[in-house]
Amino acid sequence: MHGPDIQWYVVLAALLFATGALGVMLRRSPLIILLSVEIMLNAANLLLIAFSRLHGREDGQVFAISVMAVAASEVVVGLGMIVALGRRNVELDVDKLRTLRG
Amino acid sequence: MNAATWICLLLPLASTLAITAGGTKLSRRATGWISTVTTFGSFAAACVCFGILLSEDSSQRTHVTTSWTWLSAGQYKFGLSLLTDQLSVMMMLIVAGVSGLIIAYSLGYMDGEDEERRFFAYMSLFVFSMLLLVQSANLLLLLGGWGMVGLSSYLLIGFYQERESAVAAAKKAFVMNAIGDATFALALFLLVQQTGTLDFPQAFGAAPLGGPLANLIALGLLGGALAKSAQLPLHTWLPDAMEGPTPVSALIHAATMVTAGVYLIVRCHILFENAHIVRDLAAGLGTATLLMAGLVALVQVDIKRVIAYSTMSQIGYMFLAAGLGAYANAMFHLMTHAFFKALLFLAAGLVIHALTGEQDIRRLQGVGKLMPRTRAGFLIGSLALVGIFPFAGFFSKDEILASALASGWYGHILYVVGMIGAFLTGLYAFRLVFIVFTGEPSPFAREHYHAHHGKEGPYSMLVVVFVLSVLSTVAGFLQWEPLWGLVSKWLDPIAPPLVVPTSRDDWISSLVGLLMGLAGIAVAWAMYSAARVEVPKPWTILERKFYFDELYDVVFYRTSDLLARSLGALVERPLIGGSLSLLGEGFSSGARELGRAQTGLVRSYALALAGGLVVLFVVFLVVK
Amino acid sequence: MANFIVWVVWFFAAFACLASALGVVTFKNPFYSALSLIGNLGALAVLFLLLAGEFVAAGQVLVYGGAVMVMFLFVIAYLGDRSEESPWSGGPSWLAAGAVLAGAALLAEVIVVVGLSTGNVLSQPKHIGRSFGSPASVGRLFLTDHLLAFEVTSIVLLVAAVGGVVLGAHARRIDPVEAERADARA
Repeated sequence: MHGPDIQWYVVLAALLFATGALGVMLRRSPLIILLSVEIMLNAANLLLIAFSRLHGREDGQVFAISVMAVAASEVVVGLGMIVALGRRNVELDVDKLRTLRG
Repeated sequence: MNAATWICLLLPLASTLAITAGGTKLSRRATGWISTVTTFGSFAAACVCFGILLSEDSSQRTHVTTSWTWLSAGQYKFGLSLLTDQLSVMMMLIVAGVSGLIIAYSLGYMDGEDEERRFFAYMSLFVFSMLLLVQSANLLLLLGGWGMVGLSSYLLIGFYQERESAVAAAKKAFVMNAIGDATFALALFLLVQQTGTLDFPQAFGAAPLGGPLANLIALGLLGGALAKSAQLPLHTWLPDAMEGPTPVSALIHAATMVTAGVYLIVRCHILFENAHIVRDLAAGLGTATLLMAGLVALVQVDIKRVIAYSTMSQIGYMFLAAGLGAYANAMFHLMTHAFFKALLFLAAGLVIHALTGEQDIRRLQGVGKLMPRTRAGFLIGSLALVGIFPFAGFFSKDEILASALASGWYGHILYVVGMIGAFLTGLYAFRLVFIVFTGEPSPFAREHYHAHHGKEGPYSMLVVVFVLSVLSTVAGFLQWEPLWGLVSKWLDPIAPPLVVPTSRDDWISSLVGLLMGLAGIAVAWAMYSAARVEVPKPWTILERKFYFDELYDVVFYRTSDLLARSLGALVERPLIGGSLSLLGEGFSSGARELGRAQTGLVRSYALALAGGLVVLFVVFLVVK
Repeated sequence: MANFIVWVVWFFAAFACLASALGVVTFKNPFYSALSLIGNLGALAVLFLLLAGEFVAAGQVLVYGGAVMVMFLFVIAYLGDRSEESPWSGGPSWLAAGAVLAGAALLAEVIVVVGLSTGNVLSQPKHIGRSFGSPASVGRLFLTDHLLAFEVTSIVLLVAAVGGVVLGAHARRIDPVEAERADARA
């Protein structure tokens, strides 16, 4: 295999994942949180494909595609909810949506 | 053969289902006709079975047909099997025939009721249940039919569900019957434990001979029979059951269901023969019942209740015969009783129908003049009941007494009591006849009597009463011991009698029984017709029906009520209630504390997830 | 030589990937965040190519970078300019501190794991054939070994589509403000 070994990919994926997780935990806009979730999913995808290459089997790629489909579903539902919120003129701030407080 | 058997059983069920499913789409009249026609169809099928049996040799007349194994538990297998033999075919004929007549009568009687459809659905359900009871080829299926006739009886007693007394009577009947069902079921448990099967011939063959187990089994079965047939000490529900419509009283509480106990004893006679004590107990209880019921019937003022007590009394005779081992005589009396008791009820129903539902004989006085045909029918029924030659009761009842006479010292005691019962029968039966059907009509009767298009009732009712009058008159000639005995000849291969009276016994009983009945009639004539005395203030103890209801109230209801109350106060509230509320408070305060962790901030949840991930990583690292 | 070029490409792609990810998280305006995510996805596609995942890379660009992100941009445009006054979360500071700590801990743990396993199986990739990662072979796997996953995924997509429709319709039907307006007009 030309280029970097698998470790490099793992570290890159970890960095991406941590970045996405920070975005989820620190931002207030639901849109950005959704985008950050996409980053986390893609970090996982990267790992799947890297290990698929390492083991010389394509199952990892198959699952990466499945993950993409699930991510698309999640985006549909998430965006639908955001649009519903927007139509009701609710401020797009996850800290304001606290009806679940115990 | 098999097809006829199944058709006989399933036609009434089909009728029930059709009426239930049809709902208001079927007219009221149509439901009545569906019910009538299907029941007569069953009767026709039963006749076919009878004809086939008749053409066979007397030792080959037992047929079992199994559709499938409907219950299988371990080594035990119980088939949905029907048995066709001499005994069940006789019951099928009686049940289907009398049911058909009475349901046809209901066409007129129930006309205009609010819920005719429900009535006819229940009636068909009853016919199906009763046929299942008499046709089943194993005791488990019999128990199923046994429970289902109890259910239909409950439903029909409580048919006028807006009347509180009807609902209470229905509940009483159900509870009393449930006691019997329970002992019945316990007996079956014992039997299946001992023999491993409940199919009729095998279970009887393998049953324990004598000893406490045999006695317990027979006692359990007897308990079921006593409850279903309203014999001492489980008899108190039957008079109250008269709250149901009159055709129900005639069909269920006179002609068919209450005689199921007699059928059970005859069917399981081998089990009873293995337990002499229980057999004697059955005869003794039957005799006690016939005396007690005869006495109580003397003072009742409700026309249907008098007939109900008379039913108890007559079933007492059947128990007496079955207990002594004169099975054919018991079954013969069962058959004639079905005819003449149905006739009495239906004739009384005509009176009640024509007089706006009144049942008090003091107000019905002298109605016979207005309703001559009904009077004739009721008179025939009463004569048959008392046992006057040539009406049916003469042949069947006196034979039972003859069997008692031939059964040693115990039988002699029963014989004497039975003769007193015969006297009482004449007295109470003709008390009714003389009060209600002779003399000048009371003002009430005159005022409220209204004829049905110039007749005493609709044709459907009159024709049925006529048919039953004919049957009550001629059915007795099937058997006139010692001259000929068609019923005995038919049934003896199935249930060989333990006691065969000599012809001397027969003649003596016939003569004495006839004289006793005539004496009763004479006394009744002297008291109620000749002198026309007012209905006397009766003895309180008889009016209170020997205080059975009060006794049961004190012994069972009050004590269990007291027990429940004290348990509630001393155990439940402090112990169970207290600990439960403590538990609940603990949980609710714990939940309040936990609830504070729910900040509602999505970010804090995400942080919790990430924290969990970190911990998991560490765990994996360490474990590896 | 080929090795060197691959390394160069890898570094560029990885750098673009990380930079655009940071951009997604830090931009105030969601519009820029979304554009940045498109860059991130493109860079990832390059990495996928280096890992012999041609089909996945193409899917990533077409479906993810194309369709999904267009939907994002459309929604952002529909909602209008709502750039936040304080994009970063307020509230208790221990939440933010905890978040950073958790992110750092995750990163550290992964690096520790990788470091521990250097020289192991991780550094010896299997030899692969020419058709590795081609649509034909991936598709065959999808329809043979992973048929169940394939079907389940399709059902998830269907449910999500229905859910999107329901959410949209629901909001329209019971929107109190619009109902009020409609009443006023009538």
